[in-house]
Amino acid sequence: MGSTVRYPRKSVGSEGGRKMIVRHSALFLVLCLGIAAEALVAPASAQAQSGQWVVRRTADGHPDLQGNWSNATLTPLQRPRGQALVLSAEEVARIEQGRESVVIERAGASDPDREAPPAGGTNPICIDGAMTCYNDVFIDPGTRVAIVNGEPRSSLVTMPANGRVPPLTAEARQRREESQEFNGQFGLYDHPEVRPVAERCFVSFGSNAGPPMLPNGWYNNNYTIVQTAGHVLIMAEMVHDARIIRIGDGPRLPSHMRPWLGDSWGHWEGDVLVVETTNLHPLQSYTSKSMKVIERFSRVAEDALLYEFTIDDPTTYTEPWGGQVPMNALEDELYEYACHEGNYALSNILQGARYEERVDAQDLN
Amino acid sequence: MKMSTRVIYATLAAGAVAVLLYAVPAVAHHAFGAEFDPDAPIRLQGTVVRVEWVNPHSWIHIEVDNDDGTRQVWMVEGGTPNVLQRRGLRRECLPIGTELIVDGYQAKDHSLPRANGRDVTFTDGTKFFLGSSGTGAPGDGAEDRSRTGGPGRC
Repeated sequence: MGSTVRYPRKSVGSEGGRKMIVRHSALFLVLCLGIAAEALVAPASAQAQSGQWVVRRTADGHPDLQGNWSNATLTPLQRPRGQALVLSAEEVARIEQGRESVVIERAGASDPDREAPPAGGTNPICIDGAMTCYNDVFIDPGTRVAIVNGEPRSSLVTMPANGRVPPLTAEARQRREESQEFNGQFGLYDHPEVRPVAERCFVSFGSNAGPPMLPNGWYNNNYTIVQTAGHVLIMAEMVHDARIIRIGDGPRLPSHMRPWLGDSWGHWEGDVLVVETTNLHPLQSYTSKSMKVIERFSRVAEDALLYEFTIDDPTTYTEPWGGQVPMNALEDELYEYACHEGNYALSNILQGARYEERVDAQDLN
Repeated sequence: MKMSTRVIYATLAAGAVAVLLYAVPAVAHHAFGAEFDPDAPIRLQGTVVRVEWVNPHSWIHIEVDNDDGTRQVWMVEGGTPNVLQRRGLRRECLPIGTELIVDGYQAKDHSLPRANGRDVTFTDGTKFFLGSSGTGAPGDGAEDRSRTGGPGRC
């Protein structure tokens, strides 16, 4: 393995460089205004007399985590087998330049006399695999690998040490088999209720809103954090999900109450905000009745947070696992993601299934 | 179709399966192959009559000349408008009357004039996010986009 590279920190997600109008929902505005009234930020003193960066603090003395952040990255969740945690300079160049060359290639002009794309194909998501579902005009997965403590990383998962999500327990495998058997009674397109929650515009992409909050690999990996002494609010751009973390140690929700983003409580351990979330909704990306997600938020630079997470669920995974995800300052604002209002996709999917049923019935006759 | 309790349970069970199978970041808002027919590739050329700058996907309506002399409006699905907004592109950058070429796949319901816009270009083949004086890649910041002008280049 070659030498590693340490970067000067560089923000991501500023590619547009253009401020946008923030259009929050009425509910979110109320939440923000209510919390903002409480948020008295200490006078800016990020630059100490010595010239060393000093963390900005809120009036109650804790590090100020507020702002707009992006966790877009080219680093995958899981590490390719045999890969070291820290990438070499050559590997970083290959990944980042590889992505850049793809973007440049796809940004180039297409043949105006091109025919329709090939029929069939094997890619279940984008059909032919030659291009993405849409040309790169619409895609923004990030341009750089994840940098943590100055190290370019090969995976977001850092625990266990192999960077892989650990195997499922026998109990979890049994649950999966039972679920598959149960779901086998229904067609994939029988009802909107059997479609994935992201397709139904309920919550994020994958685990974008979390917890844990992970990049989706496609676009809009952006967050706004608003902080007071008593609450921290995290809004994920996908799908305009706002999680309110209570600071302190109050009563947890009863087991049967499971909000989309779980029941989150936080406390400060020195300069680190530690958040424990339970009661995750059964349709979330990572969930089980006994799952607990621990998150740690650290302001590590004026333009960066370090986000760390651990998933503890002995009924599902053979060991706890977790990772580190850099969240870099986003120079733009978040834009409203009013998913329900324009969701033609769900009706197209269901209409398509009904159409195919009619065609099949006619063929039988 | 009427929703049943069984369906609710199935949905809950589906969620449990989703978590157990989850290993990589999600890749799309919806299952592409569930909405569009891989055996119905299509090429469209027409003029923009409406642009819906909505999440989760933008939709561009183009009017196309049919072989029989009639005209038909097709709805073409693109990606999320948030990315375009962040790159400085607005709905106004694709004015009514702009002529486009689209290739993609038709919706599974063939009675619907809808398709995905796998590759959406102007008639000279250029992408509508604006080429630049730099790499040509989206968001390379190589020029002041407000000065570029022209459809798709504002």
